[in-house]
Amino acid sequence: MTGNAFTRRGFLGLSASAAAAFGLAACTGTGGASTQNSAPATKDMRMFTYEGDETIGLLKTQVKNWDATADMTTTVDSLPGSGAAQYPDKLRTELLGGKGPDLWRIWGGQIGSPFATAKQAADLAPYYEKFGWGDRINENAVAGMTFDGVKSGVPFLVAAVGAWTNQELFAKAKIDNPPTSYAELEEANDRLLAAGITPLGTGGKYGWHIMRLFEYLLESTAGPELHDKLLVGAESWDRPEVVEAFTRFKKWQDKKWIPEGALGLDPSDIEPAFVQGKTAYTIAGTWVEAAFIVPSKKPASDFSTFLLPTDQSVVRHSGFVEGYMINANSGNKDKAAELIDFIVKPETQKALQNTSSTVTGAEPEKSKLPLSAEWAEINKTSPFYTIQDQAFPKKQADQYFTVQSDILQGKITPAESAKQMQEIISAWVQK
Amino acid sequence: MTALTTALARTEPVAWRKPKRHGGLSAWLFAVPALAVYVVFLVYPALTSLWFSFTDWDGLSPTYNVVGLDNYAAVVQDPVVATAAKNNLVWTVVTLTVPVVMGLALAILLNGKVRGKPILRLIFYTPAVLPLVSIASIWGWLYNPQYGAINEFLRLIGLDALAQPWLGQDSTALAAVMVPAIWLRTGFPMLLYLAALQGIPKELYEAATVDGATRWQQFLFVTMPSLKPAHYIVIALSLIDSFKVFDLIYAMTYGGPGTTTQVMGTWMYANVFQYYNAGYGTAIAVVITVVAIVVSIPYVLSQTREHSR
Amino acid sequence: MTSIAPVAALPEAVVSTGPAAPDTKKPAKGGLVTTAIVAVVALVWIAPLALLVVTAVRPLSDFISTGPLAWPKDFTLSNFADAWRIGNFASTYRNSLILVLLKVPLGVLISAMLAFALAKLRIRFGRVIMFSVFLGLTIPIYITIVPIFIMLRTAGATDSLIGLMGPYLAFGIPFEVLVLQSFFRQVPDEIIEAAKIDGANSWRIFFTIMLPLSAPALVTVGILDAVSTWNELLFALILLNSDNSKTIPVGLLNFQGQFANNNTGLAAGILIAVVPILIAYTLLQRYIVGGLTAGATKG
Repeated sequence: MTGNAFTRRGFLGLSASAAAAFGLAACTGTGGASTQNSAPATKDMRMFTYEGDETIGLLKTQVKNWDATADMTTTVDSLPGSGAAQYPDKLRTELLGGKGPDLWRIWGGQIGSPFATAKQAADLAPYYEKFGWGDRINENAVAGMTFDGVKSGVPFLVAAVGAWTNQELFAKAKIDNPPTSYAELEEANDRLLAAGITPLGTGGKYGWHIMRLFEYLLESTAGPELHDKLLVGAESWDRPEVVEAFTRFKKWQDKKWIPEGALGLDPSDIEPAFVQGKTAYTIAGTWVEAAFIVPSKKPASDFSTFLLPTDQSVVRHSGFVEGYMINANSGNKDKAAELIDFIVKPETQKALQNTSSTVTGAEPEKSKLPLSAEWAEINKTSPFYTIQDQAFPKKQADQYFTVQSDILQGKITPAESAKQMQEIISAWVQK
Repeated sequence: MTALTTALARTEPVAWRKPKRHGGLSAWLFAVPALAVYVVFLVYPALTSLWFSFTDWDGLSPTYNVVGLDNYAAVVQDPVVATAAKNNLVWTVVTLTVPVVMGLALAILLNGKVRGKPILRLIFYTPAVLPLVSIASIWGWLYNPQYGAINEFLRLIGLDALAQPWLGQDSTALAAVMVPAIWLRTGFPMLLYLAALQGIPKELYEAATVDGATRWQQFLFVTMPSLKPAHYIVIALSLIDSFKVFDLIYAMTYGGPGTTTQVMGTWMYANVFQYYNAGYGTAIAVVITVVAIVVSIPYVLSQTREHSR
Repeated sequence: MTSIAPVAALPEAVVSTGPAAPDTKKPAKGGLVTTAIVAVVALVWIAPLALLVVTAVRPLSDFISTGPLAWPKDFTLSNFADAWRIGNFASTYRNSLILVLLKVPLGVLISAMLAFALAKLRIRFGRVIMFSVFLGLTIPIYITIVPIFIMLRTAGATDSLIGLMGPYLAFGIPFEVLVLQSFFRQVPDEIIEAAKIDGANSWRIFFTIMLPLSAPALVTVGILDAVSTWNELLFALILLNSDNSKTIPVGLLNFQGQFANNNTGLAAGILIAVVPILIAYTLLQRYIVGGLTAGATKG
């Protein structure tokens, strides 16, 4: 790495080797899609996922069952962690390196989107037709894995986000029934606070946890139609409904309805705080039951869950999807699709203990996960809107989180926050 | 070996050396294995990536466009880069000087009449061995505004007013991450200095005592000059370490709140891997490396000058 | 000008076995005051680690139901057995050990050779090489990941420990070369000249004079290198897939979940992972202390 390396000749050599190394069409943006050719079909497949210790065994067993019927050998590799962790980086590197898995699990929305846009994920429309997935799978969930009109993934999990409460603390504050309007929720907060209890456990590290509060407030002030338009940049954010949502957001902090210093708290520390009796509730999905309530060995009856009241005629909740994508360059696309079809069968979903499956007939058992089972009911009447960190690309989401951080620290007003959001979203939409 | 070294010590040093021609082929035989591995697995991949800083590659697509110096122009205008550069500077100054000074102080204390030196040395070095994930969790818990040990302690001694949401506000977040950084990184300079102190001949101190030097004067005029080569190594390695900061900030604040604690390393990572702006992120990496080149010039010159003397 | 005599002499305190062995030669009083001061600092220093240890010996249910900072109601050692299984330590331990045992000696040897060429053999372009080696310290690993992955895939060396060797060696070289060349420069040229007159060639000088004289330095660099190899995550994460080939830091990721981490298991896993390093360090610190001295005796 001396000065010599930067001479023109060195440079040309470099660019050539770079292009060669990446197998890319040199320099210009043409000829990408046409050069894709699939590898020959084989008897071996590789599946990449992020199942943790509790569920990876279940998945491997089911895949083995399928292997036996399909005369295939499927290797399941797992790298546990959240969407902010290492999994997407590794998947991306393997795909670029031409040694990607035949199929992989991925979050919907903007985490999965780059893989579809870059045409690393196959267009699954033919398989949707062949296996009739469109009829079996929750159609909102399918939308969460459809990018630019192309069905690039098969969702098997749709997580619903709501309030999860510590019943003892609610009783202590003399709140008997879950709030049914935003005003009642505020009143509940006041009562909890008066009883010496921090109402909502939420944390601002990474941004996406405290975001669940703001998106709920926005849904309640803007209503479903406007909220959806805001998320895609079809309406300006610089409007009274948004300002009102930011005003309420700030109010939650000023009234101390969220923990002191919430912006610096790690979600994985503060989310289970309601189980510990340190906060009255949190905003989260059904995983809370399997991840915190069951391991805490406290009875499920100590806890409760409810749909956050939005004061709208249709009460929606925030949700996100996860599903499988198939490698566009795989020689085993047909087999991979067969495996996915096997996975989204209700029996398999049950065997995998998926508590929020996209297919009917795999609802969680009341005896084991009573609270998650309630959400299977709620989902029947309450549709979901895309959780905001999946609605925006990561970069815009991070800019949005900066706005949240600034308003909570009192650096900008609600009106300025709305203006800044409009700048962020319009810059993205124009691109 | 002891006999040999003793004999060597008696060898009269020669004050000058005749200028010699280069070492020739045999020198290259020694150099080639390491250089080959280094070039193949570090220089070459780094240079290959360099190319992408002149493109708009997203880091995943099969195609891209060449955009010339656009990415570099964008680096200059990026407000987050400005924040990151400032943070890098503050970070480097603090996490370079504090651990080095503390390491030196501890080394001197541990070089005195202290019992249990091996245990103490183990304690001060242990943080350096821990995986980063544990450090982020532990310090996150300690910093918890309501229940964390740090605020509890402040309240206990009556300094309630000082209890802060340390990681949760712009004004304290960077400082709050520096504390674990110092905790992690004091062990290394301590060890180096401790070692260097063993090498200072006792006669120097005895002579100074005879001359009536105070302890402070002994430190200034005997200890410090004798530690000069140790200073070189400690400062050079700590400087690079501070400059490259990434993991700790990423794990503890994720660059937040907002973008308050972004440094060049985290911002580069965000762009390359999370925003699918591989071209732009690579440009940031190139800027980091170029700055490091400039900073390293005096060190390398000083090393090679002595070498060719 | 140059003296390496004190180098080889280990400070007496280093070889004493522990705190129980009082230093009878020195007046106790002064020692006690300093000891008390340092001990207090050491307590503060070690305090955060107590959290890790406490977390490792409490049941997960207790951790979740009372929080990380509450004093446990219950203690258990079962986390260690669980962690051993979840972290797949039986194979990650083996893999990390193999890597360290292969990589560290080889890396130190080739780095020492280059350092020797730089410090003593007046290699041409020495300054250029020094610069480029120094630069290696500053290059972000993240930038090189994709080209390295492609290179290793072409060579069929992904998902194998051998594949990790190349990048591990390369990223260890800058630190090792810089430190070692600084040590080597302290060795007086006269010894080399004398050996040459006796008819020794460069290899013989390297193996019979430089390496033995610098043994403490080599051990020091080796230990620091072993620590960073033992803890390396990124390359291992990207290049290894199957459970059989994963290293300890990758195995520790098994304690992560999408929504919640198994914190008690992780704490136990971390203790399992760092204990060998701490033991090795304790046993070898006399060499570290003795070793680093060599670089610092030029006064």
